[in-house]
Amino acid sequence: MSMEENKIFVDSRGSSCPGPIVDLAKAYRNSKVGDTIEIWATDKGIKNDVTAWAQKTGNQVLSIEDQPDKVVVIIKILKR
Amino acid sequence: MEKKRVVIVGGGAGGIILANSLNQKDFDVTILDKSDTQVFQPAFLYAAFMGKEVPTKKIPKLIKKGIKFKLDPVKKVDLTNKKVFTEGGEYAYDYIVVATGTMSDASTVSGLKEIDDKYGDYHTSIENAQRVWKNLNSFKGGTIVLGQASPICKCPPSPIEGVLLTEMLINRRKLKDRTKLVFFTPYPRAYSAEPINNVVEPIMKERGIQIMTFFDLDHIDANTLYSLEGDQIKFDLPIIIPPFKGAKIDYEPKTVLDDDRFIKTDKFNMRIQGFDDAFAIGDATNIPTSKAGVGAHLEAKIVANILQGKEDKFDGRTNCPFDLGYGKGTFVIGSYDQPVVPYPPSRLNHFEKMMMEKIYWSSLKGTFDFIFNLYFRHTDPIKLNKKFSK
Repeated sequence: MSMEENKIFVDSRGSSCPGPIVDLAKAYRNSKVGDTIEIWATDKGIKNDVTAWAQKTGNQVLSIEDQPDKVVVIIKILKR
Repeated sequence: MEKKRVVIVGGGAGGIILANSLNQKDFDVTILDKSDTQVFQPAFLYAAFMGKEVPTKKIPKLIKKGIKFKLDPVKKVDLTNKKVFTEGGEYAYDYIVVATGTMSDASTVSGLKEIDDKYGDYHTSIENAQRVWKNLNSFKGGTIVLGQASPICKCPPSPIEGVLLTEMLINRRKLKDRTKLVFFTPYPRAYSAEPINNVVEPIMKERGIQIMTFFDLDHIDANTLYSLEGDQIKFDLPIIIPPFKGAKIDYEPKTVLDDDRFIKTDKFNMRIQGFDDAFAIGDATNIPTSKAGVGAHLEAKIVANILQGKEDKFDGRTNCPFDLGYGKGTFVIGSYDQPVVPYPPSRLNHFEKMMMEKIYWSSLKGTFDFIFNLYFRHTDPIKLNKKFSK
């Protein structure tokens, strides 16, 4: 995970257990309002999880993109 | 040919297995640690919820003849100049393997340090686990709250194991009708990986455990937990797993550490980012797999093979025993390219978990390698997913 101009990048490819949702929760904890978090995951479960997570936490999913080798999710942190 | 000097930082499962796997004809091996005793950490669970003893052994008894062990705390690892600085001096190396595990840091959540000092936990020391056991035995009724204080938890099944064993104890003490059991988690469900959640969550619900999802602990005040998401839980008895970070050791360059002091490591060849002669294994790394003994074991074998000139690659295999209480268990089995298997609970799984405690010390010397190899082949996640995944 690296921080650069309020953009947090998380490479969660290959994580099946504990899974990408753990990396998202960790990035959320280290984030500030206004940050964007970009997650790469191979576990397709991230799509439903991230939607439910954003709804619960009041943050915004900017995009969920299915690529051949991964899912790319971009989130904007509106609430902490 | 001159022997290559290998310095291993940390005498836990990973460090010892690696040391014992290296050919001493070609390698001069030194293990450094701040303690000379290894604790069988999976037994903290049984000390906290069943009052059992935690096995320990002196590190010099666990290593093969010829391997050097120094009780000498490491302060700094200089990867650029290939030197390790300790309280007692310095060690130059040809290869370094960092196997420093993870350490708890209760100070990162406001109010948690006081709770941890008072009530203990079942992840950090024998004394803390015994405190949980004592509290559970003097408990007369009310709300018990159990969960992990941060997204990173050493041994991911352990929070649910803890709450299931609490339920078993409360039930046996006939306090069930006077007790509310609340389990909290920062994830959308009780267990982060969905296939195994589908196995364990129904069991938790059936036993009357209330599950609070998306509860990422922010602070604790006046017997109440507050989450980042804005929820609260009032409690009478807290059992809280503290946050985990990497060991407090300085690195040169500093950039090899992530925000939580875990070491940026290649998830396939275990090399520390940017270095050919430096490796990290076990809980100390940032690779996307569970922090658990099985990872340390398998990764140690990978590094031993690479150092000895054999090509090898870690596949991210997990194999975490999961105690469900009342003599039943399951396993969390997956890998980088295989989702976790929805492995059905059984008494045999529980028995296998109990056996691990019996064979653990000998397994560090490689005595049971052939059994482990057979076992890992037999429980290959590709094979198991074909059988159990719908």
